[in-house]
Amino acid sequence: MREQLEQLRNGALQAIATASSVEQLQDIRISLLGRKGELTALMKGLGSLSAEERPIVGQLVNAVRDGIESALGAAIESAQEKVIAARLQSERIDTSLPGRRPLKGTKHPVTLVIEEICSIFAGLGFAVAEGPEIEHDWYNFEALNFPPEHPARDMQDTFFVENNLLLRTHTSPVQIRTMLKQKPPVRIIAPGTVYRCDSDATHSPMFHQIEGLMVDTKVTFGDLKGILTVFTNQLFGQKTGVRLRPSYFPFTEPSAEVDIACVICGGKGCRVCKNSGWLEILGAGMVDPEVYRHVQYDAENISGFAFGMGIERIAMLKYGISDMRLLFENDVRFLQQF
Amino acid sequence: MNVTYNWLKEFVDFDAMPDELAELLTMLGLEVESMAKLGAGLDDVVVALVEEKRQHPNADKLSVCRVNNGKEVLDVVCGAQNFKQGDTVALAQIGAVLPGDFKIKKSKIRGEESCGMLCSEKELGLADESAGIMVLSPTIAPLGTPIFAALGRKDTIFEIGLTPNRSDCLSVIGIARDIAAKLGLKLKYPQSTLVEGNEKVDSVIGVTVENPDLCPRYAARYISGCTIAPSPEWLVKRLNDIGIRSINNVVDVTNLIMMEAGQPLHAFDCDRLSGKRIVVRTATEGEQFTTLDNQQRVLTSADLVICDAERPVALAGVMGGLNSEIENTTTSILLESAFFKPAAIRKTSKRLGLHTESSHRFERGIDIDGVGRALDRAASLIVELAGGVMANGSLDVYPGKSDRAAIMFRPEKANELIGIYLDRDVIINILTRLECRVSHNADGSIAVIPPHYRIDIEREIDLIEEIARLNGYDKIPATMPIARVVSDRPTRHQEIEKRVRDLLVNNGMTEIINFSFTGPDAAGKLLLSEDDPRRTAIKLANPLVDEQSVMRTTLLPGLLDTTARNMNFRSLDLKLFEMRRVYLPGEGESMPREPLCIVGAITGSRDGDGWSRPNELVDFFDAKGLVEIVLDVLDIGGVSWVTENPESYFHPGKSCRVFAGREHIGSVGELHPLVQKNFEIEKPVFCFELDFEKLVKLSRTKITVTAPSRFPDSTRDIAMLVSEDLAAAKIIECVRAEKSKEIEHVQIFDVYRGKGVPEGHKSIAVRIRYRSFDRTLAEEEISALHKKIITNLTDKLKVTLR
Repeated sequence: MREQLEQLRNGALQAIATASSVEQLQDIRISLLGRKGELTALMKGLGSLSAEERPIVGQLVNAVRDGIESALGAAIESAQEKVIAARLQSERIDTSLPGRRPLKGTKHPVTLVIEEICSIFAGLGFAVAEGPEIEHDWYNFEALNFPPEHPARDMQDTFFVENNLLLRTHTSPVQIRTMLKQKPPVRIIAPGTVYRCDSDATHSPMFHQIEGLMVDTKVTFGDLKGILTVFTNQLFGQKTGVRLRPSYFPFTEPSAEVDIACVICGGKGCRVCKNSGWLEILGAGMVDPEVYRHVQYDAENISGFAFGMGIERIAMLKYGISDMRLLFENDVRFLQQF
Repeated sequence: MNVTYNWLKEFVDFDAMPDELAELLTMLGLEVESMAKLGAGLDDVVVALVEEKRQHPNADKLSVCRVNNGKEVLDVVCGAQNFKQGDTVALAQIGAVLPGDFKIKKSKIRGEESCGMLCSEKELGLADESAGIMVLSPTIAPLGTPIFAALGRKDTIFEIGLTPNRSDCLSVIGIARDIAAKLGLKLKYPQSTLVEGNEKVDSVIGVTVENPDLCPRYAARYISGCTIAPSPEWLVKRLNDIGIRSINNVVDVTNLIMMEAGQPLHAFDCDRLSGKRIVVRTATEGEQFTTLDNQQRVLTSADLVICDAERPVALAGVMGGLNSEIENTTTSILLESAFFKPAAIRKTSKRLGLHTESSHRFERGIDIDGVGRALDRAASLIVELAGGVMANGSLDVYPGKSDRAAIMFRPEKANELIGIYLDRDVIINILTRLECRVSHNADGSIAVIPPHYRIDIEREIDLIEEIARLNGYDKIPATMPIARVVSDRPTRHQEIEKRVRDLLVNNGMTEIINFSFTGPDAAGKLLLSEDDPRRTAIKLANPLVDEQSVMRTTLLPGLLDTTARNMNFRSLDLKLFEMRRVYLPGEGESMPREPLCIVGAITGSRDGDGWSRPNELVDFFDAKGLVEIVLDVLDIGGVSWVTENPESYFHPGKSCRVFAGREHIGSVGELHPLVQKNFEIEKPVFCFELDFEKLVKLSRTKITVTAPSRFPDSTRDIAMLVSEDLAAAKIIECVRAEKSKEIEHVQIFDVYRGKGVPEGHKSIAVRIRYRSFDRTLAEEEISALHKKIITNLTDKLKVTLR
């Protein structure tokens, strides 16, 4: 029995050493250690041995089996390594071929700018508000202190529809709707579509604005300057110079046009800024007491500011778009760049 | 409003150079929109002396001159004949760039060298026409002096964009006044010396105002014996510089004073005024009148007219009449200076589409107090330029003359609102510089009477703005507000909108934005039935063009136009969507509704051009899949795909309407071939549309989860032959009808027609995955369940197992 085991071991080790593939090694394992394997058969024969011999031969059988097992294990591992090495050696793809990628979707640049501005103001505690695009004259003009027959109405060429309704010429009516619904403190930002009866290279009959409104106790014109400085720095980069200069809107007083240092030339003067070094990007001011009167706020005890800007203008500056019409032609070769 | 540097300087003695002045004006709220420097770039055109002039050897009509520019003597070939040796001329030297981007270079003309050009007024942009070159006075300036400096024409024209509130700045004096106030300088008002004759004005002319509410002040003077002639050069140039064409000495004076003082004036030929009288009244309905521009105008009773004893002679504040205009033979003049009610002038001017320098000023409001001053100044200047005698005195109908009311003003309120601290004295000083009259109230507030010309200053807030403006917006510190915290998360509507838009973009869709208005034919192009509510659109009263005349009731036409347009540019693989409002008329008097809608269109190849897979085209199921994922993400249940009553614009056999429970939430389908043709689209397009408002209503935002089973699954397939018209969904429904918790997933994994499948049939293969939540399913259990399902299929749907 001892010799038999010895022989079996030698034979097995021999076979393992000469085996050339994982499959052969597996076969060897089965033929020796499998249910009908030689070693298994020998082990079954242990029962016929005497009680003294049994533990000794048993130990020997275990040793032989362990020896074969570990040799097989090592050989299989090394055979597998060889197989992997061979695979790595032979398998090659042309990684320069284009990847199979999902189609890229894009948001419209107007949407991108609106989302960016709303998120900047969300960080300043402004909630997004909305309102109808087909508006009453009262919300669009009268409550904003544009009396009928007032020349200020000429600033905004209006599309009219029946029933004393019109297409809102600015997002400012959202200010009125918001203040009628809630009491101060108010902090809103209102993006939306607006319309003016005007169409040429720099005017589109439909465009987008974002309106901002903050009303609380003791809000100052300096605060408006502070908020707009933070905003423009976030939108156009830190240290973008901001300049407020006097202007006029019926619903704010004092009113200001807000310029930023030209993002193209950095303020040195170029064609985009007409050599002034400044770009006008928004209108702003302290809410006029007349507006408070229309929404039944007490102008003596609260104060606030409002501002509004054209989204297309900002998109054009931000992305270097030269012609506003590109924004509404919806050419995918343009849209896919965003 | 155009104004020149030199003209401003006549009224206020500032030091600022033109560029600095532009900045100062802009920061005062008088935005300088453009600046034109007269003679800019013409510094190389200088005063020069023709020392010698001889005939060009090779050309009869040319001469060769030796010209001295003060430094050297140059040869210049010239074609003009109107000068001689010894004349002083304007020489454009090499390097000069004349108007029209005409560069002066050294050249050879017919073999003779020419080092410059002798210029005409036209070539220098000084006149529209000129005969020959400019011959200057010999003493004009030292040789070599730039020509514009020598002519005293060095000036800068500012184009100022005025806001509608600043009517006081529609004049040179008005702008000068603001500069003076800002710089703390004194304004020099023009002085007029009236030389009047003996004849009393009211013995010659008369004025009656029938509507003092519309014409609160009407003043007139009478001048006789004057001679209409061209204006002197200084006047022509002054008007030219700001873009006004010279007419004659009298009309030019009225224009000059309007620009100088902001008071529109009108000169009538008094001999053509019946009864030499003026009657200010409203027109009668339908009254006809021919304005100076030779246009017949039909008036209404809201229009204010200036009449003589019989008929209208001017449209008040807007334009004079042809029947009384100044002609070359005019000798007696009635000069009008008035104040008309702004709203009335605006109404007339708007209705007639007649916008003039005069109406522009009246409708914004002029200085009622300055009516008489402007009249006197213009009358004396007319006498100075056109001769004649001014009658003694003026007629001035001004029944409501009154002082302006004082405004209660609190300096601390100004500081509080602006966010600055200015001393009371500083504030009072600013108000005084603005020509306000200031007195102190016992309670510490200030009573302020603003000047008449500042009609925009009526309230305390208007004065606060003036303090901020004059002190300078740049001096206001930028601060951050102290605010109360409020809760302001986005609304559910906003959150879902962003979620859906992101979802579509992340699934390869490109967002488009089309105009909200469309043409009236859009509904027809979609083959909508006559009673389709989408045919009822809100119409614009004043559209720019017909294609933008109605508010859209569906986003499809825009989407399809965009698709066609992109295909024309050979962008053939498209995945487009638009998420915007549509506009539906309200019931009766109620406001229109503006629900948000989503539409999408896909066409072309599914993955773009690939190198490793066959190029597959998108189809209905790609479009449906996009709808499914939206509904899935929003967790909208009870979805059904209904093929009955297909939308008119979809292929009836390849489209369906989408329902969630009983709510019709959208549709999906292949575009109807006729609609495709109507929109000039070359290839099949698959579209979907969803009613976003309904999605928001139906979306179940509360997420409840079930833990996944930890037991093994068992999968069985069933292949069956079914009739062609059996909807696949019925098979799944039938499998699901066996309400066993152990049916984890049912999936159709193959649909086959062709070999081995009889005509009118299709082979459908279903894969069912069984799994329990609480145990490993026994083989027998699964088989029993599976068998039951098969029986259901064969019994209820009459399928044949393959």
